[in-house]
Amino acid sequence: MSQLRDLLGVAWSGLKARKVRTLMIMLGPVIGVAAMVSAIGLTESAKGELQAQLADLGTNLIIAQAGGTFGSQNPSFPLDAVQRVENVSTVTAAAATTNVSGVVALPVQGASNYYEAFPVPIRAADDSLPRVLDVPLIDGRWLNSADSNLHLKSVVLGSGIAKQYGYLPGEIRTIRLNGTNFGVVGVLGSVALDPDLDNAAFVTQWAAKHILNTNGHPNQVYIRAVPGTTQATANAIPTAISLGGTDQVSTQIPSDVLQAAAQANRTLQEVALLAGLLALTVGGIGIANVMSISVIQRSAEIGIRRAVGHSRSKIAAQFLLESLFVGVLGGILGAVLGVAVVYAVSSFAGWVVVISYADIPIWIGLAIIVSVVAGLFPSIKAARLEPLETLRLG
Amino acid sequence: MSAPGPETPPNGTDAVGATPLLELESVSRVYGEEVEVYALRDVSLKILPGEFISIVGPSGSGKSTMLGLLGVLDLPTSGTIRIAGQDVSALDDPTRSRLRGDSIGFVFQQFHLIPHLTALGNVETALLYRDLRPKERHERARAALDRLGLAARVDHRPVQMSGGEQQRVALARAIVTDPLMILADEPTGALDSANAAHVLEIFAGLESPERAVVMVTHDPTVANTARRKVSMRDGEIVADEQRADVIP
Repeated sequence: MSQLRDLLGVAWSGLKARKVRTLMIMLGPVIGVAAMVSAIGLTESAKGELQAQLADLGTNLIIAQAGGTFGSQNPSFPLDAVQRVENVSTVTAAAATTNVSGVVALPVQGASNYYEAFPVPIRAADDSLPRVLDVPLIDGRWLNSADSNLHLKSVVLGSGIAKQYGYLPGEIRTIRLNGTNFGVVGVLGSVALDPDLDNAAFVTQWAAKHILNTNGHPNQVYIRAVPGTTQATANAIPTAISLGGTDQVSTQIPSDVLQAAAQANRTLQEVALLAGLLALTVGGIGIANVMSISVIQRSAEIGIRRAVGHSRSKIAAQFLLESLFVGVLGGILGAVLGVAVVYAVSSFAGWVVVISYADIPIWIGLAIIVSVVAGLFPSIKAARLEPLETLRLG
Repeated sequence: MSAPGPETPPNGTDAVGATPLLELESVSRVYGEEVEVYALRDVSLKILPGEFISIVGPSGSGKSTMLGLLGVLDLPTSGTIRIAGQDVSALDDPTRSRLRGDSIGFVFQQFHLIPHLTALGNVETALLYRDLRPKERHERARAALDRLGLAARVDHRPVQMSGGEQQRVALARAIVTDPLMILADEPTGALDSANAAHVLEIFAGLESPERAVVMVTHDPTVANTARRKVSMRDGEIVADEQRADVIP
């Protein structure tokens, strides 16, 4: 034990005596580990927000879309599609929307040219839509039965449209739909699972039917399934809606797409990891190089140590420990630097920091292995030096 | 072989019966493989406790080779070298290194201090890997420096010291292990005459009945401070004389 302590002291003092040299050869492991830690951290953090969002949104939303056959004009569902869907035992909630076509929505007077060219999509929506989507209103309220019963001309804006219209929270605002004024009663929050809804405006089924002249057949049904049965439920939906009829139904689980998007970019990660490994390897070669030169420069010291009784193996161990220290310190420093980079970039880019700290010891370990392997050859060379030749006697 | 010095050998036996500290028995050292060069040819030498020996000879006479062999830094091509009765060729490197560290204290012409270590650190180098507590190691190294009048220099690095001081640090490093033999290579070669005289004085003071002091030199003045003078030429010992006229 005390011999090991002596050895550690000797190796440490050897490194300390040549601070610049030590820092230079430490750069290899530092850059290598920093590159690997930040590569993984950054690619994960870039998707961190999405992953956090996904946990919030849940993975049990299914969207059933009418159509699927090429060329069919405005395909739609039967009027009672929501009831049909709710008959599936694993469905916990469902809400339909209907595309209202041929409507020009004008936020203000005089902007008609633009909005005629790029009409805002209007959808008739069920009262339960925000609940099924699990998206809150960011302003005002959603459409309710009073709107339908009292034949109110109410409209709810998607979050994107609200922004586009310059709608201020609490503002009293009317927009014109095909010449009829509708009062804005609320703004729906951003729907990450179906961004189409952010750019739509919503009216009641009654208004769609009686003011905007639709037939009331839904085009989309939003469905929540019992967690864990999402895929099976999605598979059952087409039959549940068509009931053996000719209706074409396609279903999608939007969180699947999001989940795929939330997976960190593997290719990018691998490239960055390779770059890190490369830096580490080049750093290792640097260590081997500098240590070899150092052994020559310190040949007198080696001779002296041999003369005072240090064995060949102690000399080898001394130099090997120096490279080990370089690997350990460089690795730790690199990890700290890598984490710092991830935090800095994430705060700059507004990402949620995701760092898998459990992996960091692996990268540090890798740096240590590379450093020790790099130090092996110089250490053996140091041990083989003949003290007689280095001491220049006589 | 010469007769022992004037003192009675430590173990009380007569000169012939005394166990030599170090013994060379028909030792040869050959360099080169295809063309063999005899640096040392069939040399026998006994070094007894209490002796103060100088080994002299012109360059190329085999002095350096002799020094390497005496210091167990090198092994003979043929013949036997024994330290305290042990055949050094038969030992593995760790044991031989340990034996070297325990038995021999080196002093070199160029001092050979480790530049990044302080005086204390340099002296302590000789005490490493001996299962000593750091405190004990410090104390012993400090005592050795103290003995050579370097108490004020313990924390100085070699570059901060004069040549004479550096050589005294080297001497402290040589004696700190209390070796059986001090082996000096031209110890005054890099010093001015005042410092050289001082170092030689210290050498004389290092004599003890248990220890041998061996100096390799080409300087007759230095050689004449020793009681026994071994002269070499062309890899052989040409004279081995006891001197009566030594001024200690």
